[in-house]
Amino acid sequence: MGIVNMAHGDIYMAGAVLSFYVVGMFGNFWLSLIFVPAIVILVSAPVERFVLRPYEGHHSSTMIATVGISFIIQQIALGTYGGIPKKITNPWPVSFNFLGVDYPGYRLLVACISVLILAGLWLFLYKTSYGILVRASMQDREMAAAMGIDVNKVLITTFVMGSVLAAVGGVLAAPINQVFYLMGDNVILLSFIVVIIGGLGSLKGTLIAALSLCSLEGVMASVLSPTKARAAIFVIMIMILIRRPQGLFRD
Amino acid sequence: MEFEKVGEKRTTLHYFAITFLLLLVVMGILLPKGARSLVTHMMIFSILAMGYDVCFGLTNQCSLGHSVFFGAGAYGAIFSILHLKVGILPSIFFSMGAGLLLSLVVGLISVRLSEAYFVIITAIFFAVFHLLAMDMTWLTGGDDGLSIKLPSISLGPETISLYNPLVNYYFVLIFLAVSYLILNRIARSPIGKIFVSIRENEKRVQFLGYNVFRYKLIAFIISGLFSALSGGLYALTLRYGSADFFSFHWSIMPVVWCLIGGLGTLAGSWIGVVIMSLFQYYVSAWWTYYLILFGIIILLILRISRKGILGYVISRRLT
Repeated sequence: MGIVNMAHGDIYMAGAVLSFYVVGMFGNFWLSLIFVPAIVILVSAPVERFVLRPYEGHHSSTMIATVGISFIIQQIALGTYGGIPKKITNPWPVSFNFLGVDYPGYRLLVACISVLILAGLWLFLYKTSYGILVRASMQDREMAAAMGIDVNKVLITTFVMGSVLAAVGGVLAAPINQVFYLMGDNVILLSFIVVIIGGLGSLKGTLIAALSLCSLEGVMASVLSPTKARAAIFVIMIMILIRRPQGLFRD
Repeated sequence: MEFEKVGEKRTTLHYFAITFLLLLVVMGILLPKGARSLVTHMMIFSILAMGYDVCFGLTNQCSLGHSVFFGAGAYGAIFSILHLKVGILPSIFFSMGAGLLLSLVVGLISVRLSEAYFVIITAIFFAVFHLLAMDMTWLTGGDDGLSIKLPSISLGPETISLYNPLVNYYFVLIFLAVSYLILNRIARSPIGKIFVSIRENEKRVQFLGYNVFRYKLIAFIISGLFSALSGGLYALTLRYGSADFFSFHWSIMPVVWCLIGGLGTLAGSWIGVVIMSLFQYYVSAWWTYYLILFGIIILLILRISRKGILGYVISRRLT
């Protein structure tokens, strides 16, 4: 949508931190899957409308503005939540035994939920009439507006959807990783790389790139140190970009 | 007609900058000790800001990877003093050489990409170098860093030492003045005009037969060179360098400085440096979470005028 969101990782972090609070308040982790998206919708819609709207379409302006937002989110989290990493107890401590290997139940569940969300996103974008509106405004905003599409509404919906997905990702990751106010920084660059390699605006490419990159990093982390594995991923990405500056799956 | 007026403003701005530099010469003696070291830091940051302005302000390449060149400059100076036992001035050449080399490599890869990809890939370069600098503690000292002993500079019969804060002040000031004069000359020369026309309309410049990629690369390299110079001077002033020199702070600060001061005005970014340094110095003392205000300032400035304080003044005067 022409917003390069540098604060995306921090929304992810905010999701994790909020779920920590929900667990503290109600004692039930699953409730946070309802509360956190609600909070994120309430916050991100005005932010898009009143803060980001003037810069949309200017990539560098949106990046700088979202860097500002990311500072604000990070510092608020640091001020309220504190700088010490905390852990949420595993909400579903079951493990399945498959061919002699134990699989933690929660991770499998998260994988299922992610597949469901992705399928839902794909259905929404490619099989509903609203998805057509979204894709139309993505390709050519002026033309879409001329055809009578309420582009502003589409912009707000897509931004809110992106934020909610990031926050849900944070919630789901909270019991697996440690909840830390800088945890977004680790994710944001990886997700940028994934999007770049997949090609901007291509859901299929993003999915393939994400799966292959993460498994590649996992394999390399068993040989190299984690940092070097991460650096190797970057190098691979640079190689790909030299060959195909527009990403792998974009014509 | 309008164009002439802009040129006129540029000349006025140039005189302001020269006056400011002369003022700095006098201030070196008058200022108390604490303020002098603050001003020294500000002058170093101004070099970084001007260097960044060539990239962002003149050719509209919003790079988030300038901490790579800043850190490379710092480590270029430190390594050459530590391992090669060279003097201060050669060490600055080494730091600029490191910046030149890295900006060439990074530029060759990233400059041809379109806007969004360019920003992201420079940000990724920042991340790679930061990670590596943190990881390779045997080389960089990691978070703890490396400290150096400064050799003294011999000027004919006299020798001076950068340990003297006053000498350090004037040492940095000379570099600031020289870099301003060079960059100002570049911005006014034909190549500077090409930079600006790339910013205004890249396609048209391409149709006119210029090799846009080459000019953008040149601007990127000039920018990296001066960022590295600034990093080297900063390391020499602190007599210390750590992986922190590669941190995101040094990537985002130049953006903010240039935005506050005014994009493409070179000397305008000094205003941004002064405001932000004072802000950081005083506000961080009484509020730990001052970065919240920092974020709000970024948003406000973007909203009011993308051209910054100076750009705002100039545009008001023109209409």
